[in-house]
Amino acid sequence: MKSLRLALLMLAVASVAPAAEVADCHLVAGWGQQGSARHFTADNLFEYVDGNAEGYLLYGFVQMHGVTCQSGGESILVDVFEMTDADSAYGVFTANLDPHLPIEKVGMGGQIMPRRALFCKDKYYVELAANSEKGQTAALRAFVREAEKRIPGRSTPPAALSWFPTEKLASVRLIPESVLGLRLLKRGFVAHYEQGQAFVVMEQSPESAAAVLSKLQQRFGEAAPAQVADEAFQADDQYLGGMCIFRKGRYIGGFANMPDPKDATTQAVSLADHIPGM
Amino acid sequence: MKSNSSRRDFLCSGLALPVAGLASTVGFGKATIQSSSPPSLASAPKLAYRAIGKTGLKVTSVGFGCMVTSDASVIERASDIGINYFDTARGYQHGNNERMVGAALKKKRKDLVLSSKSGARTKDAALSDLDTSLRELGTDFLDIWYLHSRDHTSDVFDELFEAQQIAKQQGKIRFAGLSTHNAKDMIPFLVKKGALDVVLTTYNFTMDKSMDALIEQASNAGMGVVAMKVMAGGFRAGNPRRAFYPQLTKDGAMLAALKWVLKNPKVDTTIPSMTDMDQLEENLKAMAEPYSPVEEKLLAQRLEQIGPLYCRMCGDCEGSCRKGLPVANLLRFLTYAEGYGQFSLGREHFLALPAEVTSVRCQDCVSCTVACRFGVKVSSRLARAQELFA
Repeated sequence: MKSLRLALLMLAVASVAPAAEVADCHLVAGWGQQGSARHFTADNLFEYVDGNAEGYLLYGFVQMHGVTCQSGGESILVDVFEMTDADSAYGVFTANLDPHLPIEKVGMGGQIMPRRALFCKDKYYVELAANSEKGQTAALRAFVREAEKRIPGRSTPPAALSWFPTEKLASVRLIPESVLGLRLLKRGFVAHYEQGQAFVVMEQSPESAAAVLSKLQQRFGEAAPAQVADEAFQADDQYLGGMCIFRKGRYIGGFANMPDPKDATTQAVSLADHIPGM
Repeated sequence: MKSNSSRRDFLCSGLALPVAGLASTVGFGKATIQSSSPPSLASAPKLAYRAIGKTGLKVTSVGFGCMVTSDASVIERASDIGINYFDTARGYQHGNNERMVGAALKKKRKDLVLSSKSGARTKDAALSDLDTSLRELGTDFLDIWYLHSRDHTSDVFDELFEAQQIAKQQGKIRFAGLSTHNAKDMIPFLVKKGALDVVLTTYNFTMDKSMDALIEQASNAGMGVVAMKVMAGGFRAGNPRRAFYPQLTKDGAMLAALKWVLKNPKVDTTIPSMTDMDQLEENLKAMAEPYSPVEEKLLAQRLEQIGPLYCRMCGDCEGSCRKGLPVANLLRFLTYAEGYGQFSLGREHFLALPAEVTSVRCQDCVSCTVACRFGVKVSSRLARAQELFA
């Protein structure tokens, strides 16, 4: 019983730190807290992120700790979102970043702009916002630097990012559900290229992946077999264009929105080569 | 511990006719018009159209809420099928959603009704948001431009209405709207103001009859009524991927929830969120099939299941416990544990309460003074919280 209590206590502590510790105005000298700290869960996040809470909930939002920091007449919001895992934190980061700007090496990835900064590390996604007309890039950068130090854990982006061919790659996102708009592809990474898009979805086992591939093949009526990885097919779809979907072990991947299914198959081979085998 | 202000409060301190047949529809009543869809699919679904208030916009009664859609192909397909109303917002994924929606719909823009929203708090910021929205969506105008998520009358300033009028004069928007999760306060306020064409409001089967009266009030005042959160958040607040969402979809409860909303003729259209083709096809059925007694029963069962458990956070019970328990908060902590699998979080919050609260045991009271108008079995739920956390 005592050990159970200890475990519960540790769990309770783990649920507070480090999100609450990172949401701290004293991270940067000269800044102090204005008003009370914020804490929101899935039940009431909409009270704070009005009208956009589902965008966070979809990515496995657990809780958020935040503070408003003040220095002179300037204010900065520091909001630390705890997600279910590191991939989800990376996912919500990619959903909210500015695709026109480069990703900086902060934690698993970050962006710092004059009035906004965001980064993710381990299972935490951090958003900062300044209300200054002239921008607060230096202060935001200082907060990001110190906040990153306080978050322990993973700073490497999800491994799947390195599997996508890099030529003419525009961006990679984690899609929390219905990859390519197909419910069968539950959750995975999607890479956008100048032409077309690629994806990788991880199933629980090679068997379940094979079952999903089979259902996908049925869905695209006039699919033809293709020689990629363990098994594959190519098809031409009204909305997904020329496409090739393959299975490699428990991974399902492919290319879509290509001019021709053959182009998709050629690209799919390159993607499959980078996905680790069993 | 939480702040009373929203992040938006902080951040903001600082014409081709879109619908075929528009000219002939001005002055439409609220009658539903049945029509066939474009002949692009093998089995074309039946679409139903309604007019949005007095705007003359004629839209499918099932529109498309793009907020959580991640693949443009779903939006493209919906527009090909014939859905002609799409809604997004400047704040969705910091603008990335608008960009995706714009790319998906650019070929059909002139045939569609497109709305977006701004959470800005000043006239200049709102107009700046609008310009950004137009740029990201790749269009010269919005059909409806909403003030986003205004839940208190104090969130709405005259200068925002002024911004909407300026945008209208500049041809950047056709109609002005406001979105709210608090119809109770906002609709009477908006009716009195008389400054808006459309209200976008939360409306679903978990709500009581007073909501119907508010919708009628808006409609009678000439405002278009667009319903959101029509699936009741997957039948609870928050994440549709949790709880029993898959089961609800399987047994038809989600479709029933959408049909329930549409059976109110004062609702002009709906904007359910859709992430995949299956959801899209399921939702289309709401326009083709009537709300049936079987579905009525199904929703009644679901309401019965969630009713005794699901606190709506209306605040009506505040101060009604003779022992001074913060009832809504305790129920929320219990939801963390039971609804979201976050036992430690629930317990942490419970233990943070004063000792005079955590020491109370509901079974010590002969009767309970707290009555929930939504049927939540408050005393047994509080006893459950005490059993779990104390």
